Amino acid sequence: MKKRSKRRVVVTGYGMVTPLGRNSRETFDHAAAGESGISTIKSFDTSGLPCTIGGEVDDRWVADSSHLLARGLEKCSSRGLKLMLMAASEAAETAGLDKLTDRGRIGVSLGYHGESPSIEDVILFNRFHDGGGTWDIGELRKNISYSYFNFFRRKPDVATSLLSMAFDCRGSNLSIVSACAAGTQAIGEAFKIIGSGKCDAMLAGGCEASLNFLGFLGFVLIRALSEKHTEPRKASRPFDRKRNGFIMSEGAGCVVLEDLDHARARGAAVFGEVLGYGSSADAYRITDIHPKGDGAVLAMKSALSDASLDPGQVDYINAHGTSTTQNDLVETLAIKRVFEDRAKRVPVSSNKSMIGHPIAAAGAIEFILTLMGINRSLLLPTINYEYPDPKCDLDYVPNVARKQEHGIALTNSFGFGGQNACLCLGAYKEDR
Amino acid sequence: MENRVVITGSGLVCSLGSTESEVWSRLVAGEEGTAPVGRSDCDSFHCPAARTERFSEANPGIQQRLGQIMDTHLALLMKAVGDAVLGSGLNAGDIPADQRGFFAGMGMVDYEVADLLPAVLESLGPAGELDYNRFYSQGYTHIYPLWPLAMLNNIAFCQVGIRYDIRGENCVFSPYADSGLYAIAEGYRTVKEGRAKLALCGGVSDKISASSLARAVLSQLLDSSGDGARCRPFSIVRKGSILGEGCGIVAVELLSHAAQRKAVPLAEVLGFGSASDGEGELSHPGSDTISQAMCTALDQSGIKPSDIDLLIAHADGNPAGDEAEMEAIHTVFSGCFDRLMVYSSKGALGHMSAAAPAVDTLIGINCMRNGMVPPTLHADPVDHRVRFDLVAGECRPSRVRRCLINSRSHEGRCASLVIGSCG
Repeated sequence: MKKRSKRRVVVTGYGMVTPLGRNSRETFDHAAAGESGISTIKSFDTSGLPCTIGGEVDDRWVADSSHLLARGLEKCSSRGLKLMLMAASEAAETAGLDKLTDRGRIGVSLGYHGESPSIEDVILFNRFHDGGGTWDIGELRKNISYSYFNFFRRKPDVATSLLSMAFDCRGSNLSIVSACAAGTQAIGEAFKIIGSGKCDAMLAGGCEASLNFLGFLGFVLIRALSEKHTEPRKASRPFDRKRNGFIMSEGAGCVVLEDLDHARARGAAVFGEVLGYGSSADAYRITDIHPKGDGAVLAMKSALSDASLDPGQVDYINAHGTSTTQNDLVETLAIKRVFEDRAKRVPVSSNKSMIGHPIAAAGAIEFILTLMGINRSLLLPTINYEYPDPKCDLDYVPNVARKQEHGIALTNSFGFGGQNACLCLGAYKEDR
Repeated sequence: MENRVVITGSGLVCSLGSTESEVWSRLVAGEEGTAPVGRSDCDSFHCPAARTERFSEANPGIQQRLGQIMDTHLALLMKAVGDAVLGSGLNAGDIPADQRGFFAGMGMVDYEVADLLPAVLESLGPAGELDYNRFYSQGYTHIYPLWPLAMLNNIAFCQVGIRYDIRGENCVFSPYADSGLYAIAEGYRTVKEGRAKLALCGGVSDKISASSLARAVLSQLLDSSGDGARCRPFSIVRKGSILGEGCGIVAVELLSHAAQRKAVPLAEVLGFGSASDGEGELSHPGSDTISQAMCTALDQSGIKPSDIDLLIAHADGNPAGDEAEMEAIHTVFSGCFDRLMVYSSKGALGHMSAAAPAVDTLIGINCMRNGMVPPTLHADPVDHRVRFDLVAGECRPSRVRRCLINSRSHEGRCASLVIGSCG
């Protein structure tokens, strides 16, 4: 076993907004009760599409948080950025981030892909295209209905820029675009940057608000979403035999990671510790995951070796568990390959059964829920588990949360295209 | 000493050529890649750009069904990574797939209007307005089913990973110049920590399209003076940038690992620094922030400003941005002007977003290995406030042992990298 790097990185704040709640406590409580945040999509017309459901964040929660947008940032702030600000504000407030003096040593690392194009964009471009495909750029520039901010919102680095402005973070500033693995990679990169001594603290997480026509359509077209379900709240059913696709949702999650000595010196409350991080790639196919889960195995093993831990020391796994036929089967297989004889005795659950899949935010939200579960000695359930799949035969904490002490957990994220990431986290202990 | 990290492979493709040696010799000869965009849908922009030639050869290893949606940035990344893999000897097979890391900065991945236009045209009502009901119910089916894949920022990255069987530690950053340097910094850290035996890292630009030009125009990044527009780094008449396409990739590994497998080190990676404004200035970071990034990179390298022979500036011709960088160089390198040379590649190659600093890193390596600095194009007449020695006019034979590369975003972020010769 490798020697642990000398800097320890701990969590001193966290926050989220999800379909299940406007903050981390609400979300956790509703998840602990096994509730679903999935319903028929209200924000746009889904009639005619094969999937019409998703996990939307309540508009009123977003409206109530409008005070967070300072200094005329409203015009450039899309829904995703508002969600990000909500989550980051909760995290920064808990951590007392504003009290840190050396702002050059505070960084930001976020998973975000920029806003999807809107139909209005497409129509506008159509208007300034002549029949032969030539643009009338002069008219486009003169046209006041299309502003710089429409382009601004498409950029993947807007969320990091906004947070570094809003929370005066002047250190490392990373925008990560690795699809469903982005949130986990963002936390992993922040963990590594603090570990290497470049920053004392970082805001890390991800946000997603692609539940609009074109954003949703993308996943409809590649047939990744659940098209068969009795009712919306039953549609996301990870590891269940009748699962048939994921449910898209929106939300944001954010943690404050901090160098342990730095946190101790300022007397900050410590909620847990990041122990290891691993990333990998399937290098198999863009549209399919590796059938034996090679990439997933590698990411989990890499996180464990980074943490200098054996699989035997892991008490819980927060699965990627998307509710697609392929993912849940392969993830089960990968867990068996890493945990061998012990695989069936390690509880595994998927938060996506309740909150759906908030793409770039998923990893951050699931990391926080895992941490809260450790601190509350509660394993969150996988709901809608009704029809066992003989090939998915692990302990998925079916339907009901389980009171159980657990100290060390893994949380998985596997991105479209084949990028995988895994974080190892644990309860904070003074001497580890 | 055992933790020294070296560059053992490189791949470069840009408007001046598809191989590193071709690009280098044309840079030294003072050539540039600027030309009319040459796409009919871009004519009305009247701004030249430094585009790459389309790669005619089919990309091996790409599923045919996906070929339709694969785009310029994939071809660029595939070519540069391929060259870096060859150069580093990675293809010899002695480094297991899970010990190969991959970190890249990706420029904006955006849609072509033509991808969505058929769906819109199919959904127009009698007065030429968009009939939403038609669009929602059937218009959308005219979009190519795999189009959404092309819109995912990480797909080109994953596709290249598949081609070269790269399965180890990885991450994709986006979209501006700083992201290309973050990628190199993370590759450096990963091999230094022993989490990969070798890492490929660098950046690839946006594709130049009507969308990318429109975005750059509306963001006021471009020199909009018409067909004569040029990127004029540090010139008194600079008016903005022109866009460029390209990709730069380096292979990094521990010096001890390179020695063990007899790979030839091209340069050593010495240190990295980054900073961000937190001020929300929309076009560039301030001079203090740029200074901060350079100082951090020098500190991490354990060297003084006077140890740097060549500074490859970000200098993209933005009037205020170049001024801030000029001030930062004046502050950090005051007292070193007798020996410091400054160069910018953007006059010749345009602004290649995430690819820019990676390409500049490769140019820096060539300067060190060839004892030559190419001329900064279109800098004349140089801003009279410039107090440092800007290499312009013609190439300059000179010994270069250490080189600092700057990059900055349009959002107040900047990053600096220091490399040194292995001679």
